[in-house]
Amino acid sequence: MTNSDINRYKDKAFQIFGIFCTLIGLVVLAVFLIDIAIDGISRIDWDFLTSLPSRRASSAGIYTAWAGTLWILVLTAVIAFPLGVGAAVYLEEYSRKTKLANFLEINIANLAGVPSIIYGLLGLEIFVRQMRLGGSLLAGALTLSLLILPIIIVTTRESIKAVPRSVRDGSYALGASKWQTIWNQVLPASFGGILTGIILALSRAVGEAAPLIVIGALAYVPFAPTTPLDEFTVLPIQIFNWTSRPQEAFLTNAAGAIIVLLCITFLLNGIAVYLRLRQQKKVKW
Amino acid sequence: MPQIDIELNKLQEKLLEMWDIVEYQLSSSREAMLTNDVELAGKVIKLGKKVNRYDVKIDRQCENFFALFNPVAVDLRQVLSVLKINANLERIGDTAEGICRIVEKLHEPISQELAAESRLLEMYDVALSMFVASRQVLITYDPVAAREILKQDKLLNKIYRKSDKVIASFMNNNPAGIEVGLHLYNIIKKLERVGDQVTNIAEEIIFYRDAKVLRHKARKKKKKDQ
Amino acid sequence: MSKKVYKLEAKNLNAYYGNFHALKGIDIAMEEKAVTAFIGPSGCGKSTFLRTFNRMNDFIEGFRTEGDILLDGRDIYDKKIRVDELRKEVGMVFQKPNPFPKSIFENVVYGLRLQGIKNKAVLQETAEKSLQRAALWSEVKDNLNKSALALSGGQQQRLCIARALAISPSVLLMDEPASALDPISTAKIEELIHELKNDYTIVIVTHNMQQAGRVSDYTAFFYMGELVEHSKTKALFTSPSDTRTQNYITGRFG
Repeated sequence: MTNSDINRYKDKAFQIFGIFCTLIGLVVLAVFLIDIAIDGISRIDWDFLTSLPSRRASSAGIYTAWAGTLWILVLTAVIAFPLGVGAAVYLEEYSRKTKLANFLEINIANLAGVPSIIYGLLGLEIFVRQMRLGGSLLAGALTLSLLILPIIIVTTRESIKAVPRSVRDGSYALGASKWQTIWNQVLPASFGGILTGIILALSRAVGEAAPLIVIGALAYVPFAPTTPLDEFTVLPIQIFNWTSRPQEAFLTNAAGAIIVLLCITFLLNGIAVYLRLRQQKKVKW
Repeated sequence: MPQIDIELNKLQEKLLEMWDIVEYQLSSSREAMLTNDVELAGKVIKLGKKVNRYDVKIDRQCENFFALFNPVAVDLRQVLSVLKINANLERIGDTAEGICRIVEKLHEPISQELAAESRLLEMYDVALSMFVASRQVLITYDPVAAREILKQDKLLNKIYRKSDKVIASFMNNNPAGIEVGLHLYNIIKKLERVGDQVTNIAEEIIFYRDAKVLRHKARKKKKKDQ
Repeated sequence: MSKKVYKLEAKNLNAYYGNFHALKGIDIAMEEKAVTAFIGPSGCGKSTFLRTFNRMNDFIEGFRTEGDILLDGRDIYDKKIRVDELRKEVGMVFQKPNPFPKSIFENVVYGLRLQGIKNKAVLQETAEKSLQRAALWSEVKDNLNKSALALSGGQQQRLCIARALAISPSVLLMDEPASALDPISTAKIEELIHELKNDYTIVIVTHNMQQAGRVSDYTAFFYMGELVEHSKTKALFTSPSDTRTQNYITGRFG
């Protein structure tokens, strides 16, 4: 066997290994999804979506849970968007390249990797106790905002960086100030990318249970929240709650709730992909 | 209009201005000769300085044009032809000046009889008409008219070749007129040169317009400058 | 006797990028309503010098200047000068056409909008005038709302010129404005420069010596951060006084 034969076999072997790895991930995921679908799809009906939680599995619904999730989604977006974009614009456009700026940059990247439960503890101390917000929607949304802020900052900075120098130069050369250039050129041009980043970050926040449990979101809320200061629950907590019950029927409920949660996540991701594609098509520098 | 055309037009204009002066010199030298008008002759000689200034100026303009516009194709041929036409014009001007210097040495007009016998006036008229025609051809190009000019030159050559005998016999019969005869022969020789120079100009115009080189093609005898 | 005031002047100008000495003691005076071309090999400082006239180098970290740059006799690096005001007076066109991802109309009136001008009639009139001035009006007058990015490269560059003219500057800086364009578009831009010089003082950086010859009245040759020679273009191209200039323009460098 010559050297090149060996290389060819190695090549082949690695290819098969790669396919195997890919398949394992996909197959496990598919099995999981199919299993959930079989368990839960029959449970999903109008009543399931509009009923309040109940001790009896057959009459329990996820109305309060998805209403809470929606509230959290919107509040988190409203809080995290200006903060994240503002911070990113500052870091990218205004801050001088000092040692402090470098230090900040590295730490923002690190923050994105901090476990979510830590953010929950932070939220518990600051928002729930110090600011006396209790286990409210607002406290939850603030906590999740902290969680996704690093992601938003990093993706926003990448989008801003992608706006070519020439466009900024063109704007400055016409007498624009820095802010005018950012507002009229940089942000519109990078908006698609920023939005994509935010939506992806939100789709992560939607699936979080741990930090919200830590700040005291409830498993049982008899009414859907109506103001940001109301107590709340979210889908992941509801699912967690149901799966920890011994009755078989609650597990079916959990499967149904998981399908709804997955739909919301897929929808968000779908919007993000669509926006990214549109952005790529629209602007060619 | 592209800048290169503007510059070429300027060049052409300058050349035509020079052309007018030289034409005036040439026709005035005929006038001065026939009437022995020394004053007019002096004027023609004086104009020579102006023609020289044009010569230098046009040369300089061409140099700038080459340096700044890097002409190719028809533009290149046009500037090359302008350069050579310019040189020929200047020499035609010199020739007219030379005739006028002879006029200054003559004490009386050349007699009608002698002029007719040596076909001097005919030469003058042909040379002048060739000169005027070539100017027209430069402005509005006509290949037939351009080649017509080349043919006319042959007539001048013919007259010139025969003139030595005519003048020799005149001098034999009139020993007192030897000086006049020599001057006359000189003028005829100069006019023949004018014909050659106009021919060169016409050839340059054909080169510029049609990119055809006619020089040295015909088997005509070119006389060296004296 | 009062000294003549030139449109643009540099007096013993030194510029540095950090420790790198980019421009070395430059003295130059440029006439009003004339085209001055900056030529020289890459990295000779000609673009850097051009960008000092509207202070585009201010963004570059570590960039600093010593000496004076005068516009109509005023020092533009004076603390009292506001950079945005300066840039309204000194327009700039870049190497690569850089239209904004907006409509043609919005591109042209961008500078006016920055100044807070909202009057529709004023914007419309300025847009038309500027586009006409930039010889683009007839090509785009029916499509003013079309995206500027849909134009061809040459049209985009003329749009950028129109955009610069819209805020009525008196000086136009051009940084290799035709280097990214095909020969036809280049010829159009050059013709445009000839027309614009009746009203504007134009400084153009070019790598193309023929272009410098064709469009400029004066040429300045830069080499290694120094201004080697500055004279009438005709003179510089027919009989340069410095051997370095001669070697450069005849292509015999190094």
